[in-house]
This record gives sequence, C-alpha cells and structure tokens, in this order.
Amino acid sequence: MDVNFRKIDIDQFDEDVLHESELYEADPRDPSEVLEEAKQRQAAVRTSLARSDIAGALSIVLENAPYGLNVEEAKNLTLQTLLSILNSTKSTEITGVIKSLSPDAQDTLMKYLYKGMGLPGWGDISGSVLLGWHEKLTEVAGVGCIVRTMTDRRIV
Amino acid sequence: MPPQVYALSQTPVTSHAFNADRSQVCISLNSNEAQILSPKGSEWVVNETLSEHDKVITSIDWAPNSNRIVTASQDRNAYVWQETPDPETGKIIWKPTLVLLRINRAATYVRWSPKEDKFAVASGARAIAICSFDEENNWWVAKQLKKPIRSTVLSVDWHPNNVLLAAGSADLKARVFSAYIKEVDERPSPTVWGSKLPFNTICGEYSSPSGGWVHAVGFSPSGDILAFASHDSTISIVYPSGPAVYNIRLPALPLVSLTWTSENGIVAAGHDCRPFVFSGSEQGWQEAGTLDDSKSGGASGSGFGAGTPGRLKSGAFATFRDADVRGQSSIGGAGQTDTKLTTIHQNTITSVRPYEIVNGEVTKVSTSGVDGSLVLWDTNEVSAITGRLGATHLR
Repeated sequence: MDVNFRKIDIDQFDEDVLHESELYEADPRDPSEVLEEAKQRQAAVRTSLARSDIAGALSIVLENAPYGLNVEEAKNLTLQTLLSILNSTKSTEITGVIKSLSPDAQDTLMKYLYKGMGLPGWGDISGSVLLGWHEKLTEVAGVGCIVRTMTDRRIV
Repeated sequence: MPPQVYALSQTPVTSHAFNADRSQVCISLNSNEAQILSPKGSEWVVNETLSEHDKVITSIDWAPNSNRIVTASQDRNAYVWQETPDPETGKIIWKPTLVLLRINRAATYVRWSPKEDKFAVASGARAIAICSFDEENNWWVAKQLKKPIRSTVLSVDWHPNNVLLAAGSADLKARVFSAYIKEVDERPSPTVWGSKLPFNTICGEYSSPSGGWVHAVGFSPSGDILAFASHDSTISIVYPSGPAVYNIRLPALPLVSLTWTSENGIVAAGHDCRPFVFSGSEQGWQEAGTLDDSKSGGASGSGFGAGTPGRLKSGAFATFRDADVRGQSSIGGAGQTDTKLTTIHQNTITSVRPYEIVNGEVTKVSTSGVDGSLVLWDTNEVSAITGRLGATHLR
C-alpha cells in the first residue's frame, strides 16, 4: 500500500493553521541576554559547588532556565552546568536535595533529565547518573512531574 | 457510606447522565447508541435504546426539569430526545428532534443551560454551537462561538445566569464566553465576569500552567469562580475579580473531569482512576485527599501502601525473569491478579457528575469510566492519599 500520502504536509493548505509560537508565551528576554545570564549562572554554580552546596547550585541553574527558539547556546551551556552538578552529587544525598527544590525547579529538572537521556554520549552525560536522579525525582514529585515534562512546550 | 459500584459493561462508558429523581440513567457504551437504564434489585437493566446517530456518541446530558435528553456524536450531529406518545400505539417513546449544528468535525461535549432553553455543543471544528429552539420549523438552531478558539473544544460548563459559558480546549486554554441569544435570554445582570455581554464576548482567557490540553472546566455554584483541569496534571482555580489563579500540581496522572461540590470544594478524576478532592477559598487551594480509600476498594481489599518506582522496576524484572527462566507468562493464569488496580475504578474515569445535592452542597457524586462501571461516592468520606505515585500501581 502506498503510504507516502502520510508524509504530505497538509498544514500548508490550511490558512488557519496553529503555529508552534502560539502554544506558549515566548521568553521576553533577548537571546544574547539569556546567554549572558547562563554564563553568570555557570560561575555562580561553581562557587556553590566549591562550598559543596548542591541544593543551592541546583536552584540557581534551574531558575529561569532558557527555553524556546534561538537560544541553543544558552541551553547547551545550562545543560552542561547542570550535568556538572548531577555528576558531583553523592547518590545518598540526591533525595534530600530534590526535596529542597521548589515544585517549579523539580519540573525543570525533569525536563533536563529527559533532554540528557535524549543525547547519549553528549558532553559528560552518564546514563546511570541520570536514571538515578530520575528514580529519586519521580519518588518525590510523582508521575505528574513526568507528564508535565511531556506536555510543556517551553522546551529546555 | 462506602461507594456503590455498578459494573455496567465490559466496554467503556463514554458518558452518563441521570434524570431528575435519579431513577434512571442514560449511558453510552462507546457505540452509536444510548441506553436508558433503571435499577432492578442491585442491577441496572436497559429500558430503552436511543438509536439515531451513525457514529460513536461522545456526550449525553439530561435536563432535570424539562426531562429532555441531548446526545452529541462523532457523526457531527446532536439530537434532543423527548418522551412523546407514539401516534399509532399511544405508547410513550423517546423521540429525537434534529439539531442544525453546522459543524464539520465531531461533536465532543454537550450540556444543557441551567434554564434548559439552550444547550452548548463543543466540537472539533474549533467552535461551540449554542443551540436554541426554533418553534416555526420544529428544530434546534445553532449560533457558533468561534473566535478565538484555535483547536478542538473538549468541555463546556454553563454559568448559573444562563448566559456565560466556560470552555476548555486543546489549544491549551480555558475561556469564558458570552453565549447571549437575543431571542431567548433576558439581559443578564452584571457579574464578576463583566457587565456588557453581547454574543461571543470573551470574559476571560486562562492558559494551562505547563502546556496541557484543558480537559475539564467548571463554574462554582455561584458562578464567581472557575476551575479547570489540564493534561499537565494540574488543576487551576480562577478568581476573576482577584485577579488570582491558584495552580495545584498533582503528583499523579492528569484529571479529565471535575465537578464543584460547594464554593469551597471540588471533586475531580481522570487517568489516575480515583476521584480527588480539592478544597480551599480565596486565600488558597490544596489537595484534600481522595474519595477512594484504597484499603476498602477493590475486590480483595488488600490495599498496597506507598509504592516506589523501585518496586515497579523489581516487579517488571521479576516478570521477565520468570518468563525467561521458568517459562512463566504472567499474562493470563496466575498473572491476572497482578493487573488489578488498588482503586475501585479499574481504568480512567471519564466523567464526574453531581448526584445528590442537600442544602446547596453536593453530598454524592457519580463517576463512570473506561472500565465500564458506574460508581456513587459520598463526598464527605475523604481519606488521605498514601503513596505519592497514585493508583498506577499494580497490586
């Protein structure tokens, strides 16, 4: 059976098509501003990590995380920063750290975990570390947190 | 009183609606026919079958005072059913009246207005048809609410003033519209939602917090508060005059249906298979518990406490190890008990509706779902939720 018709972009024939940009409110910040912020945050995270304040470092990196279009560089930088925190946390501390995060930060953390799992071999991603965090985060924030990661169009 | 459970069928119950004195219920079993059931002993038996639709019925509503049933279907039609004597035999039968919806996609949801002189049909055609009766032609005509709906409308709810309509849609927004029809309605008095209300005025537009389809909307009994539940596992309560919006994130799976029990209480249910209770006021809202006390629920009643993903993982591991080492398949045979949920409903609850109202407060709600059962719950029997992960656990 010919199934190529399934690949036709039928949206181009629809005058009233719903665009991606209508699904969420764009980040009001300028892309260069977002990148600048991501760099500053990376520095702040390093300071926190030096004091071995994991919870503080995580809240810094998860607050106002970059999302949307044209901020790829800032997104990558943030993911890198986040991975450095995740990789340097002892597995016994994870639950306590997660519990200290705000619900917003927990949802954002879940988004990054899935992003990381989608990029095997990128940077210093370790699948077992991400899965460990995923298990602990699901215990604290529930499956609702995973559902929100799937529905949210503000992709990190 | 423990929940009363009626297993109506093996197939999903798409929608259910009771009549005014709760002596009959109209349901659709995921087919193009609606059935009217009445109790006989502890069972519900079919009295009558309403067949006129060509495709699956999506929603049913039964007007309590005028005793009329409206059904909406994927065949893009709606019918209003009324009891009339048959011209030949004189027997009382349910007779359908045509509704001119003028929509080119499935009708998804239908609700009578409080005065029962209008009804609203939500549809996949990015429109809501507001229907009123045309005496001259003996049919129902529709006027469409279109702007600014960008996707399928999944649910609607009427404000007690018979004019305002809330709608939840797959474009991730809940909206409040004016559905004022000049020929039918008197001029409404001002509400918190606005004072001048020509047809299709938008009185409020609210986004779901993390981008989920808005599955369910509901006005509080006074009409001054709006609640909506969306597919990002959140429920939001809106005070328009505040203006304040309270978002509650659930640890569980998304809710798809909700009903207010008073100005300070909501019962909502969905993919987590059990009804949740939310309570609050203008100062804030929170989850208050569930009506499904899993210890008394289910057939064997051996409730399973707080679960963890670790347990699920080892459960899955054991399943595959048994299949590999011992050649045991857990599908069928001994595995059957493994697929029983600890909740009363064994699958998604698709509809929650008020059942019994005492002194303006809903004391009982009815739910129906994909598992084919209809359950009556006492709204005062709220128990705390054990296990953050919800009912997605297997026993």
